[in-house]
Amino acid sequence: MSAAVSALFDRSIAVIPAAWRKPVGLWLLFFAALAFPLIHDDDADIDAVANAAAYATLALGLNIVVGFAGLLDLGYAAFFAIGAYTYGILTAYQVMPPWSGFWEPFAALGLVAQYPGQNGAMLVHFTVSFWLALPLSALVAAFFGVLFGWPTLRLRGDYLAIVTLGFGEIVPIIARNASSVTNGAAGLNGVAAPSLFGTSFGVNATPYYYVAIALVVFLIFVSIRLRDSRIGRAWMAIREDEIAAGAMGVQRTRFKLLAFAVGAGFAGMTGTFYVAKLQTATPEMFGFSVSVMMLVMVVFGGIGSVWGVVLGAVILQLLQSWWLRGVTDWIHQFGELIGNAALQRVDLVQAMELIFGIILVLMMLYRREGLIPAVRRPPALSFEQQSADVRRDVGKLDLPGIGGDTRTGETLLDVRDVTVKFGGLVALNGVNISVPVGGVVAVIGPNGSGKSTLFNVITGLTESASGAINFAGSDITRMPPHEILRRGVARTFQNIRLFGNLSVMENVLIGQHARLKTGPIAAVLRPPATRAEEKAALAWVDQLLTVFGNRLTPRLHQVVSGLSYANRRRTEIARALASRPRILLLDEPTAGMNPAETLELADQIKALNDLGLTILLIEHKLDVVTRLADTVYVLDHGDVIAQGTPAEVRQNEEVLRAYLGRNTQAGVAGRAA
Amino acid sequence: MTTADLLLQQTINGLSLGAMYALLALGFTLVYGILELINFSHFNVFMVGSFIGMGVLHAFGISGQNDVMTGFALVGVLLVAFAVTMVGSGLLGVVIERLSLRPLRNVTGPAAMITTIGVSYILFNTVMLTMGADAKNFPNPLPPIKFEIGGAVLRLKEILIWSVSLGLMLALWFFVQRSKLGKAMRATAQDPEAARMMGVEVDRVIMTAFFVGSALAGAGGLIFGLYYNFTSFTIGFNAGLRAFTAAVLGGIGNVPGAMAGGLIIGLIESAAGQSEMIGAQWADVVVFSILVLVLVFRPSGLFGRVAPNKS
Repeated sequence: MSAAVSALFDRSIAVIPAAWRKPVGLWLLFFAALAFPLIHDDDADIDAVANAAAYATLALGLNIVVGFAGLLDLGYAAFFAIGAYTYGILTAYQVMPPWSGFWEPFAALGLVAQYPGQNGAMLVHFTVSFWLALPLSALVAAFFGVLFGWPTLRLRGDYLAIVTLGFGEIVPIIARNASSVTNGAAGLNGVAAPSLFGTSFGVNATPYYYVAIALVVFLIFVSIRLRDSRIGRAWMAIREDEIAAGAMGVQRTRFKLLAFAVGAGFAGMTGTFYVAKLQTATPEMFGFSVSVMMLVMVVFGGIGSVWGVVLGAVILQLLQSWWLRGVTDWIHQFGELIGNAALQRVDLVQAMELIFGIILVLMMLYRREGLIPAVRRPPALSFEQQSADVRRDVGKLDLPGIGGDTRTGETLLDVRDVTVKFGGLVALNGVNISVPVGGVVAVIGPNGSGKSTLFNVITGLTESASGAINFAGSDITRMPPHEILRRGVARTFQNIRLFGNLSVMENVLIGQHARLKTGPIAAVLRPPATRAEEKAALAWVDQLLTVFGNRLTPRLHQVVSGLSYANRRRTEIARALASRPRILLLDEPTAGMNPAETLELADQIKALNDLGLTILLIEHKLDVVTRLADTVYVLDHGDVIAQGTPAEVRQNEEVLRAYLGRNTQAGVAGRAA
Repeated sequence: MTTADLLLQQTINGLSLGAMYALLALGFTLVYGILELINFSHFNVFMVGSFIGMGVLHAFGISGQNDVMTGFALVGVLLVAFAVTMVGSGLLGVVIERLSLRPLRNVTGPAAMITTIGVSYILFNTVMLTMGADAKNFPNPLPPIKFEIGGAVLRLKEILIWSVSLGLMLALWFFVQRSKLGKAMRATAQDPEAARMMGVEVDRVIMTAFFVGSALAGAGGLIFGLYYNFTSFTIGFNAGLRAFTAAVLGGIGNVPGAMAGGLIIGLIESAAGQSEMIGAQWADVVVFSILVLVLVFRPSGLFGRVAPNKS
């Protein structure tokens, strides 16, 4: 029976071309939402859906903070409260300073009105329009988002959770105790209802319903536009790996604050809407339970999934206002039928929060991606694609914007007397290294000799105790990582730090972050310049991947955590190249590759250098070093113990001792054998 | 009361609060030290503990404030009440770990923390729905003995709270420092992988941490009831946040740090609550501000953070 129904369904769906299905479905949904109050003329039900839509807008805002940027915010209700009180204060009769000439111009604009107070004194009554308050409260909430975020966003993720929880508690406490502006625990009453073309919305649910639907549509649009832009990619990079995001040019603090501000802005707008609808604001409306409810909606729908969180919010809100009451009635009737007194007392509406707790735990244990997962993983490569001929030799590379330097003998990167200490351990001890323009310099040394620390100090991930680092004539010592990348120093990591849940394409796009300009407003409006920039960025990804023949091109949309080790190394190199660096720092690029793959990659690095790209390389495989490097530095225990051409270094006694043990003779004998 | 008396009285009150927060903070610190997880369910394990304690005292026929006991009977009742409460809360902690956190052991991201929020919510609402939403009069078996020191009053219940807390903390200290399982616990906190390779059963260590931490939280819950003469399903949130602040202040993962942090937070709360300038309604704001300031300016706390080395 059900098979027949689903077959019928499949056949009727098949009439619509695949590419149209999603837009057609969404338009149908949209018209259904518009028609709902006309078809179903029940004020209470329309109000329930309007509330569900308001929660959907809150969930969309929290999704930007938690889902996109990965910042667990447990005090999100605070911004909802701030938005609500903003509108409340701007219209209620509880906050009325004495009238003076200062207010005249505002009265002329219709923002305030004179109001006769007790004993004849005139007072100021704020009469700010709902439509003006909507963007205003978004800005106020966003401002507080930045204010709360600024000291706390540097914290580790779990600490951030508890601090936001604290802020979420403090805001209602302030609302309760700062009575002069919030009227304390009694709250603000008589908040003005919105009006349009001179008609007040009053207490009729239908106009509120349409405002709520408009807000949801608007915020879905903003969410999707932000997600699929440079901004959204930067957020996801921070979520996946903060350190790598910084090293790829993402200004971490700025983008975290932006996520906080945008999320808070959504909540602020919703707060204004919600208070205008209820026409009252009290501190009790914005406690921890509201923040948890928002979190449940996001987790239930799918963390990071725009459609998911909307669905999650709507389902949970309607569960609360419609279905639980119905189910409770059934249970009561059933209890009456079998004469069970306990069943007749069950009240599922009261148990709503218990159900929320159970949903949170069950979703985390059994379906962490939620109802509608944020990313749909593309199918693995077919057998034909996997076994397709690997094209290695790509001939001469064509990568405009990369390289172009000629070997003039000048120094591009100059590390002077750099010392790095970790507590008592000296990881680098007055190291001097200079990399000439267009050259290939290799750094070798035993494990723990300080090679990766050298890369970290050059790229700003580790602070030096003393010394200076110059790049292209300017001092980059102690600059933040994103600034160093912007100036043209890009790197890979020894233990591969790709953005694991993103695709090859997204990883390489994030590599271009510093070279793209799209800001949050352009990302939403998508003017022609932004479209052109995005198109060029995608074309650049395609071009970059040709460095590796057809190794990565068929895997463009695959999630990188599912790629082979060698392909992840290649993706990381492509990501570093995406920023069009002048110098590329490669930390053991051939580690974990077999001899054939190693040779292939060495050739590709050589081809990049032939374009005029300067390369600084850490490598253990001496044949690769010999093949590529002009100059080799040998590090041991934080000291440069030798430098010279590969051939010179190979003969150096001290190098042999460092690599092969204290007994030089045995070392030489070992080499001979 | 003179200023000196007031100061003494506030110190007495603050030490009692602080002892309770310290017991609760130890559970946060033990679990964080090993799993790097903020365990939100701990808030309400504390609350459940106070309800278990209330049940035990009811079982002895004590209800309200007038069924006071003396001598060995009192000692016996208190011993049983603390023992049952601690074992009950400890088992609750173990069940939470086993059912909701062990399956997420190797999942990265905030999943485990979100789960503990869910568990906390389940405990909170289950108690509200089964026991009722009103505050409960907590049975008090202690005779109203008090000592006057100048103008300040030291009651028997304060002496009891101090001695129980001190005894439990000393026991924990010896357990962590001297016992084989305690050493395994410290090793796991340093490096779970290396500990596993040296033959430490990490799952058992984690279970022990949950049992011990939850048992101490349960004792804290019983102390809360005895001190304030009431309990309610809502007590976990504020006490839990203060205790977490204490754990961070002392350096999270650091056992003596949690004890010291608890006492400091108790003293600050007592002082802030009585101060004319600040007033009790702002005490929460003061505590949160300390939390934020410590996290921002000294994230390793006063006595140093102890957490697994992640490379």
